[in-house]
Amino acid sequence: MASVEIQNVRKAYGDFETIKGVSVDVPDGAFVVLVGPSGCGKSTLLRMIAGLEEITDGTIRIGGRVINDVEPKHRDIAMVFQNYALYPHMTIAENMGFSLRLAKKPKEEIASRVTDAARILGLTDYLQRYPKQLSGGQRQRVAMGRAIVRNPKVFLFDEPLSNLDAKLRVQMRAELKDIHARIRTTTVYVTHDQIEAMTMADRIVVMRDGVVEQVGAPLDLYDKPVNTFVASFIGSPSMNFLAARVAEDRKSVATENGIRLPLGIEAPAAPGTAVTYGIRPEHLAIASVGEGVPMTVTNIEPTGSETFVQGTVDGQKISAQLRERLFIRTGEVLNLALAPTNSHVFDAATGMRLG
Amino acid sequence: MTTDIATIHVEPTPDELAEGRRLRRRKRLTNLAIDAFLIVVSLLMLLPLVFLVANAFKTPAEMLAWPPTIIPRDPTLENFSAVLGETPLLRWIGNSLAFAILSTLAIVATSAIAGYIFGKFRFGTLNVIFALFLATAIVPFEVYMIPLYFQAKSLGILNSVWGLLLGYLVMSFGIFLIRQNVIHSIPDELLEAARIDGAGEFWIFLHIVLPLLRGALGALAVLAFFQAWTAFAWPMIVATTRTSYTIEVGLALFQTGFTVDLGRLSAASATVLIPSILLFVILRRNFVQGVASTGLKE
Repeated sequence: MASVEIQNVRKAYGDFETIKGVSVDVPDGAFVVLVGPSGCGKSTLLRMIAGLEEITDGTIRIGGRVINDVEPKHRDIAMVFQNYALYPHMTIAENMGFSLRLAKKPKEEIASRVTDAARILGLTDYLQRYPKQLSGGQRQRVAMGRAIVRNPKVFLFDEPLSNLDAKLRVQMRAELKDIHARIRTTTVYVTHDQIEAMTMADRIVVMRDGVVEQVGAPLDLYDKPVNTFVASFIGSPSMNFLAARVAEDRKSVATENGIRLPLGIEAPAAPGTAVTYGIRPEHLAIASVGEGVPMTVTNIEPTGSETFVQGTVDGQKISAQLRERLFIRTGEVLNLALAPTNSHVFDAATGMRLG
Repeated sequence: MTTDIATIHVEPTPDELAEGRRLRRRKRLTNLAIDAFLIVVSLLMLLPLVFLVANAFKTPAEMLAWPPTIIPRDPTLENFSAVLGETPLLRWIGNSLAFAILSTLAIVATSAIAGYIFGKFRFGTLNVIFALFLATAIVPFEVYMIPLYFQAKSLGILNSVWGLLLGYLVMSFGIFLIRQNVIHSIPDELLEAARIDGAGEFWIFLHIVLPLLRGALGALAVLAFFQAWTAFAWPMIVATTRTSYTIEVGLALFQTGFTVDLGRLSAASATVLIPSILLFVILRRNFVQGVASTGLKE
């Protein structure tokens, strides 16, 4: 086991820079998730840790050792790919024991380590089959088994669950987390799915356009996003944003037509400053008649457990996640209570969090 | 509203039953017609081959008789004994076999290595080299046959299998075929996974790439073998002594400007068919798979 330290790392293809100075610390035994929209550089960063991409500038350390110019096979890492990358002409046992065979371990040791890993992953009955005879979820487990038998310092996962169907993904998410809890190997996990990030990570690194936007524990990112990008990326359905100006008393902000949106704190900006007011759909509730903020309903989606309502407040789009079953039609007005302590204020120009 | 859907059963009307029978009969007839057509075509294609083999067992008189017979009335081994006794036919077959096998090995090896590298390693210069390789495919062999002959002569390998091989070590189509297969059927992640697992580049080629290319290499081997086996112009100019001929050149000797010794030519040709048919039967599955998977036809 080992920590991974990424310091000021850059990656450029010719003049085009895809990673623009990224620093991330992965403590020993931690489960860190790199998350961001496609093209943000998260996979490139992972491949640089693995040694599959050269590092243009900066340093990466694994267990305190600089590995910039170390061959992938000497980095003591294991990687799980999105398409599993199982060797189609080898049995499951051969696939899992492949790295040990290359390391010239004795046959008995290979067999026992493969059997152990197969037991952890529930693959014991499939060891003599070929990858094409297995289902997607089983193949994903074999790919993980191949990583586990090596007992590496670091696990690298590149969108390992993206090829699975929704139900299996939820199941494998829990299994992965469980395996990590048992073997506690330092893990760097790449995904574009913020739910995967939220549910699995000890620490999330949100990336956009080759830079790190925010690093933190899942709920910290959820409760205190540093800018509108992180605020909208983390959480589903995503946060509502309303353009507004700080009111005279600075305890609320007001939309163009004077609809007041309450703040939990005194606005850290002068009255009249243009801001972006943020509030998550689940922090909206139904207000008593004559109170709250009037929303014109445009769409209603009952899911059984909850009701999602979309509409507009002063012409700006907003959505609410409500516990109640609503008997309301589109075009009608619903009064919403906004929880002041759960509101966020961002600078309208830069999108950065205020206060 | 409590009717159980599964219990509803509607008897088909006599009209519906008749319609069903009619459709089934029509389908059966169509299939029969297709079968009959294919059988006729394949018989027509086989006929020349059958006559060739039959002629090999006929006397000169019967060969010229009309109508021609498929099964010889008076079968004789005369032609075979003449061919085997008076010409070094087995020697020629041996030459051809050695030439075709060595050429196949060389082409399979060079195509596998070059195709893999062109398919998976991305340097700007490689594309230029690949374009050059492809460009050589459009230069007819006859154009550089004579310079190649002088090359062989100065190397002192005329009248030998090495001389024959000179123009048959690399096949640009083979490199192209393997490159397409590599791009199509070997994902990058497989190689990356092996690299992380600790495999060296040569090991990856030998234990990951080659096994996955088995089908394509099998198809290429058949193509390469027949290319060498049926080569004529190059062996004709490189092999000038009677003992260094390949079978193709040897067979041509039965025809002179004035006469064709049909009986012996047939006997020799029939003998020569044996190895080709054997090879095709052995590699048939690879051949079909490899060519089908690339969508290329030869």
